[in-house]
Amino acid sequence: MCLEVQIGNSTFSNPILVASGTFGYGFEIHELVDVNRLGGIITKSVTLHPREGNPPPRICETASGMLNSIGLANVGVEYFLEKIMPEYSNLEPQLIINIAGRTQEEYSETLEKIESHGGCHVGYEINISCPNVREGGMEFGISARMTEKLTRELRQLTNRLLIMKLSPNVTLIEDIARAAEQGGADAVSAINTLVGMEIDIRTRRPKLFTTYGGLSGPAIKPVALARVHKIHQAITIPIIGMGGIASCEDVVAFMLAGASLVQIGTLNFREPAIAVRLVEELTHYVLDEYDGKLRDLVGAVELYDQ
Amino acid sequence: MIQHRATVKHIKLLARDIWQAELSAPEIARCARPGQFINILPVQDWSAVMRRPMSIAGIREDAVRIIFKVVGEGTRLMSGWQSGQEVDIIGPLGNWWTDYDHEYPILMGGGVGLAPILFLHEDLIRQGIRHALVLGARTHSEHFLVHNVGEARILTTDDGTTGIKGTVLDGVEEVLKTARPSAVKLFACGPSPMMEAVRVLAMERKYACDLALEQIMACGFGNCQGCVVERKHGPKTGPTYRHRFALVCKDGPIFNARELA
Repeated sequence: MCLEVQIGNSTFSNPILVASGTFGYGFEIHELVDVNRLGGIITKSVTLHPREGNPPPRICETASGMLNSIGLANVGVEYFLEKIMPEYSNLEPQLIINIAGRTQEEYSETLEKIESHGGCHVGYEINISCPNVREGGMEFGISARMTEKLTRELRQLTNRLLIMKLSPNVTLIEDIARAAEQGGADAVSAINTLVGMEIDIRTRRPKLFTTYGGLSGPAIKPVALARVHKIHQAITIPIIGMGGIASCEDVVAFMLAGASLVQIGTLNFREPAIAVRLVEELTHYVLDEYDGKLRDLVGAVELYDQ
Repeated sequence: MIQHRATVKHIKLLARDIWQAELSAPEIARCARPGQFINILPVQDWSAVMRRPMSIAGIREDAVRIIFKVVGEGTRLMSGWQSGQEVDIIGPLGNWWTDYDHEYPILMGGGVGLAPILFLHEDLIRQGIRHALVLGARTHSEHFLVHNVGEARILTTDDGTTGIKGTVLDGVEEVLKTARPSAVKLFACGPSPMMEAVRVLAMERKYACDLALEQIMACGFGNCQGCVVERKHGPKTGPTYRHRFALVCKDGPIFNARELA
């Protein structure tokens, strides 16, 4: 029995991935976790130039979740290729590089630089949904037309997996998902964080410097599950589901809603080994309840007759 | 960096709202240095999603000691810990205090900022390094040590109910009057207004000065990038993206006062 799952021609040893921005580049956590047990690692967003990110405060805790406004702080693509990429040569999980940008040209140029450098990565996750910087790609993420155009453009540049990461901060996420599929994406991942705000009533200041931030964690799971289910009804390419996953039951629920793979995000901060633990737990669950056939779960939610 | 299910050995109320707990964690206790911290999961349920970073206040046998004040939900939950209970901790994290053997070290702690200061105090005693300790609080009931100028242990209170009436800065003047050191280095941890005052004092008198900073954190080891502090004169080493906004968890928590000017 195995938990193998395919996107396009690429095979993942199991459907548990770690979400961009919650696992660094995968090295810091090495002392605590055997990362090789994971199905895949999605890097922190890489941009064309280094970004110092937003001023503090950048995070705060909320009921069953957290708000963040990091602002895509990252080393930039040149440093990434020179210093970080070589470290990945012995990595067993599939590596997916997350790319963020301001303009179509920036996305293309970043992806082209990585392509021409080469590497062991299986594909790209394109962040068109960062709520925390004006130039975080949101203008793409909220428009089906722009999403399709960007996807089509990037599709020309790579044969590796192309995954579009969708924002829930839109009217109809299924329209954006459909646009990504039509543009040639191999999969979509959903959802990125929900726009939120907290106020310190004592100081009358927002709890984040940028006023608004992205809400994540168990608080958003039902929202994420609904979006994944809606997307599943609209497209045929695989969905990588995420949003507050904290247990094996959550993973199973996302798969029943239509996700073929999942990403663990905020919970990595709390329990660095959670993703590895969920691989174990899912293995037992699928063996016990589905006779080892993971595929039987995907989209298998049984709705009431309306 | 080790993740450990530590056992609460002791927990007691030290002063008003200020608790001390000893967590059995042999591997962490063995390698922790003064200034470093642990990141604690206060409870297993969802009432608090994020861990709570806490400076190590000392080591006793196989246990790390923490001192915390009940300020919010996480610390309220921690004050309810029972002896024998298991607590998930990650540590030791961050950098540590260094360079205390050339100048006369004056250790300054305000409020619960005294935790890493007490650990350094303990370590300097162990190494036989002469130094002064200055601890500030609002009032008598928040102190749990004894004021003793002769032993270079100065307490200050805002209301004068214990030790010197005033702030830790007044405490430092008392130290300077008595000890008359030729060169001074300040080591400080406390609330933001105190840290700013210490930083200004150090700049004016050209004292060496290291500050231990606090910031809200999620992971504690560089992944979430949440705990930044603005570094105005940063070391120009490492990836450029962190020259201005340094991570308190990885680049700190100890920063040279000049970097923050």
